[in-house]
Amino acid sequence: MNTFKKLIMEFSIKRYRLVWLFTLITVFVSLFLLRDIKIDTDPENMLEQNEPARIFHNNAKKDFQLSDTIVLGIFNEKDKNGVFSRETLEKVFELTEFAKGLRWEDKESPRGYSGVIEADIVSPSSIDHMENKKEGTISFEWLMKSPPKNQTEADEIRKKAFSNQLLKGQMFSKDAKVMCIYLPLTQKLLSYRIYQELTQKINSFEKGSESFHIAGLPVAEGAIGVEMFTQMNTASPLAMAVIILLLFLFFRKPVLIILPLIISTFSILVTMAAMNAAGYPVHILSSMLPIFLMSISMVDCVHVLSEFFDSYTEAKGRKNTITEVMNTLFQPMFYTSLTTAAGFLSLTLAPIPPARVFGGFLSIGVMAAWVLTIIFVPAYIMIIPKKYLTNFGIRQNSNNFFTTNLNKLGFFIFRNSKKIIFSFIIIIAICIWGITEIKINDNYAKRFSSSHPLRIADSILNKHLDGIYTAYLVAEDKNQGIVPDHYIQKIVSDINALFIDNENSHPFSVLKAVEDAENKIRRIYEKEKTAEVFFEEAAAYSDYKYTHSPENESEAWDKINEYLEAEKEKFKVFKNPDVLQYISDLQDYLAANSLTGKSQSAADIVKKINQELKSGKPEDFILPKSSKGVSECYIQYQQSHKPNDLWHYVTPDFSRTSIRVQFETGDSMDMKKAVAAVSDYVKLNKPPVDLSFKWAGLHYINLVLEKRLVFGFLKSFAGSFIIVFIMMTFLFRSALWGFLCMIPLSATLAIIYGITGIIGKDYDLPIAVLSALSIGMAVDFAIHFLERSREVYKRKGSWETTWPEMFKEPARAITRNVLVISVGFLPLLTADLIPYKTTGLMLFSIMLFSGIVTIILLPALIKEMETFLFKIKIKNKALEFTKECEE
Amino acid sequence: MKKEILSIAVFILLIFTSASYSAGLTADEIVKKATHASLYQGKDIKGKISIEITDSLGRKRSRVLNMMRKNVPGSDAQKYFVLFLRPADIKKMVFMVLKHGVPEQDDDRWLYMPGLDLVKRIAASDKRTSFAGSDFLYEDISGRNPMEDIHTLVETTDKYYLIKSTPLKPERVEFEYYNAYIDKNTFIPLKIEYFKQNSRLYRTIKAEKIENLISVENGMEVTYPTVILSIAQDIENRSTSKMKLENIEYNSGIKDEYFSERYLRRPPKMLLR
Repeated sequence: MNTFKKLIMEFSIKRYRLVWLFTLITVFVSLFLLRDIKIDTDPENMLEQNEPARIFHNNAKKDFQLSDTIVLGIFNEKDKNGVFSRETLEKVFELTEFAKGLRWEDKESPRGYSGVIEADIVSPSSIDHMENKKEGTISFEWLMKSPPKNQTEADEIRKKAFSNQLLKGQMFSKDAKVMCIYLPLTQKLLSYRIYQELTQKINSFEKGSESFHIAGLPVAEGAIGVEMFTQMNTASPLAMAVIILLLFLFFRKPVLIILPLIISTFSILVTMAAMNAAGYPVHILSSMLPIFLMSISMVDCVHVLSEFFDSYTEAKGRKNTITEVMNTLFQPMFYTSLTTAAGFLSLTLAPIPPARVFGGFLSIGVMAAWVLTIIFVPAYIMIIPKKYLTNFGIRQNSNNFFTTNLNKLGFFIFRNSKKIIFSFIIIIAICIWGITEIKINDNYAKRFSSSHPLRIADSILNKHLDGIYTAYLVAEDKNQGIVPDHYIQKIVSDINALFIDNENSHPFSVLKAVEDAENKIRRIYEKEKTAEVFFEEAAAYSDYKYTHSPENESEAWDKINEYLEAEKEKFKVFKNPDVLQYISDLQDYLAANSLTGKSQSAADIVKKINQELKSGKPEDFILPKSSKGVSECYIQYQQSHKPNDLWHYVTPDFSRTSIRVQFETGDSMDMKKAVAAVSDYVKLNKPPVDLSFKWAGLHYINLVLEKRLVFGFLKSFAGSFIIVFIMMTFLFRSALWGFLCMIPLSATLAIIYGITGIIGKDYDLPIAVLSALSIGMAVDFAIHFLERSREVYKRKGSWETTWPEMFKEPARAITRNVLVISVGFLPLLTADLIPYKTTGLMLFSIMLFSGIVTIILLPALIKEMETFLFKIKIKNKALEFTKECEE
Repeated sequence: MKKEILSIAVFILLIFTSASYSAGLTADEIVKKATHASLYQGKDIKGKISIEITDSLGRKRSRVLNMMRKNVPGSDAQKYFVLFLRPADIKKMVFMVLKHGVPEQDDDRWLYMPGLDLVKRIAASDKRTSFAGSDFLYEDISGRNPMEDIHTLVETTDKYYLIKSTPLKPERVEFEYYNAYIDKNTFIPLKIEYFKQNSRLYRTIKAEKIENLISVENGMEVTYPTVILSIAQDIENRSTSKMKLENIEYNSGIKDEYFSERYLRRPPKMLLR
């Protein structure tokens, strides 16, 4: 270690020109590599490509042709007619027409365009109205063919809308104050663009009694993706400015204070360039990388500056001073950088692709910052003209606030060590209780501050409607439309039974037909087990025979054909009224127990059609008794302007169904409850046929993502905790010292998460990510403090004489660092996005608490454990000494 | 100079207009003939229709139905009777239309659903809804009244007339206009393209196969060119429907009484096969 240290220091101090050259080249190469940076804002990519939930979600989306949807809400509580006032409906109409045009040619998309999918828009002017009119007449028409000319026409639309309970709570609110236009998108990532286009259109309206609100998960995700980057551009410079100000307060010399900024800019640049060059897009998670690096990379440099400032005198000169400083700090800096990098590196084990990239490159950044600190800082100091350092150093500023107060603090700690340890034990105990109170929950809307338009939209729309967060519960026939082996025997005996009544009088031709059918059926089954195809082929054969056989035989084939056609329908389980009733009961159960908001399934559609076909009265909102009746309802539903709407709810083979479930909050907790409730319900209430239930939809995907993230981060966190402990044990050649070194980190974490639990803040994705940051940073001060303590103790021989030294330069360096980083990042609190505020607050707390614990608790502990700690130490030292002698 | 150009332009224009008149037909006349060719040939017709619908994912479903149609002599009125055969669970569902053929008068439409045991009249309203869940619309089956659009002859080639039709009441339909390519000999529309705003093509109907069917009308042998395979494509939904006509019989003397409410529940036997 020592030779390595000497080599590097000699190189950087003597060959400082070369270091400069090398640094500049690196910067230019990095700038070159940073061209056309790729950005990935899709949170779905936080899941592995082969994550089962993600595959299922994508398949369900494809099979049911579900699209990510933007919700455009119109809110009117001023007009007595609410959103059903003539003026508002006119705007609703206009907005729908406008939205239809939000599409752009796109050769790569299978549709030939990207944008709003016109056919799937839900809005009064783009959905059908079916009504049972007088004298056994039914009508099919658009709910709002054209904007109403007067309030009477508007009232008519209101009446029609309210007659359709499928729309109540979804397209419009029961209190008539909210109307929603649902705009499905070809790709989720277009949401922000559509959002901006809509906002522009809305702003062009003359001020009326209504307000407009855009919401929906795709918008929230899109907005996060975009705003994370834009806010990065405003928040980082602000943080920079504050840091510069603080550094200036401490060190006074602009020529020196730009040094930490150079280091952090350099390491950010190198890291981002490496990431881009390696082909990784900047994910939302990695968009936090610059902020993280800015703080971490600065720490070492501030230590150096602080030490340099404290020990510089003109007599000593910069060369000697910097050599001395680097000598003292080399080892702790190496280890703090290594531990920080190790902490982040452990993220590469997480089951989250962007987290792996994030962790991997962060550790690269940390090490880049370290390299630059040890070679460039001395080189930089060497080229500063001497005159710039006039009046520099602590001896010129001896009235320093820190010097006197830190000494007083040290004295106080020395006197009250027992009390201090005791109070910390109490605090930690409370915090551990707080941790047990932590709620794991994530909510995309809560990424925005409460004044953000998306957050306002979220609360208004969810207050009036039955939820705008959507997940899909997909139920599948467990046979999955496959004819089981034993079924063939049943078919054969059924066909025989068709002719059993008058067996004796069977002409030979009939027997021939039965035998022929049997053979053919077995042959078809050998190559095709899918019910749809199997029965299709079998029926086609019998149909052919029916038209091409002599009369007697032909009749038999007709019977067989009819039988096969009927059997085929039995495999379409979601035409079975009992199965639909089961689905409907499940929906009722979820709604009655407030587990979900409104939900809509094929059962609801059949009920609605049945109701209008029969009488239009509410008591007829029931399922028909026979599957034939159900089929007729399905076909009537398809005889509309939008025949394909049905396939959002069932697959054309009727073996799978999708229930659209609305949620009134974006809380992942609520989604979790619903998932558990459904699985319990299915266990307790056996469905009439074997069904499996699985979830899809963005809202559900976020829950899966949360599970992966929280536990992924927790696991890698535990991993890095152990790694850091091992490294510390190695550094101090003592598990006890290693353990001592972990105390500030552990205490900091306990305090931060304890407070999180106590104040009831949700443990969400941003907080989980930040736990990774804390481990790397919170251990640093302890390393510096303990390493220096041991060095000083070696000279002084007792803690009583050591602590006053420790409360000089070392304590000052720590305090300065705490202030620079914690206060420096407080400007993040002004950001509009909660993850930024969280980062600011977390950085502040990590620095503050780990600093406090290091400076206050560690000396108290050392004092109490002095004999114990240093006896082992001395023994070790003796061992080392004998070793050295032997060599 | 300007005058000369103008006179040349007028001259060219005259040649072109006279060219389109050389066939002696105006756009309205062509459309009238086309309507006749596709909907009014013979006194009556019956046959089996199979529709295969293929959605954007390639999933197929089919409908089979028997249909009969009869013209009301001396008017543009027609009667339609459609009996569903397959899928089995909608077997015997019936759809019946009395088309008056007068622009202001809406058609009378009935529906019989055996599973629900219901006979319903469908209120006069929109005819541009899906036929049996396919990409064909009711109006494609029973025909759109030529009086509802303004027709202009856009182009005449040696094979077809290209007619552009723009609705008189645009608020009642979803299209902006449609182009029909009408065969010069048979007057059968070979292709119809429907456009939305900004001339965006969103659906087409093509006559894929035309057969000359021979029958006897008023004691004389006649040939009816008949579309036996047509394809409707919904470009927006990427869905396609193929409609095949089989066992077609013209002038078989279908009884008038079949087209009554009584026969909805008990369809004529010949339609059940």
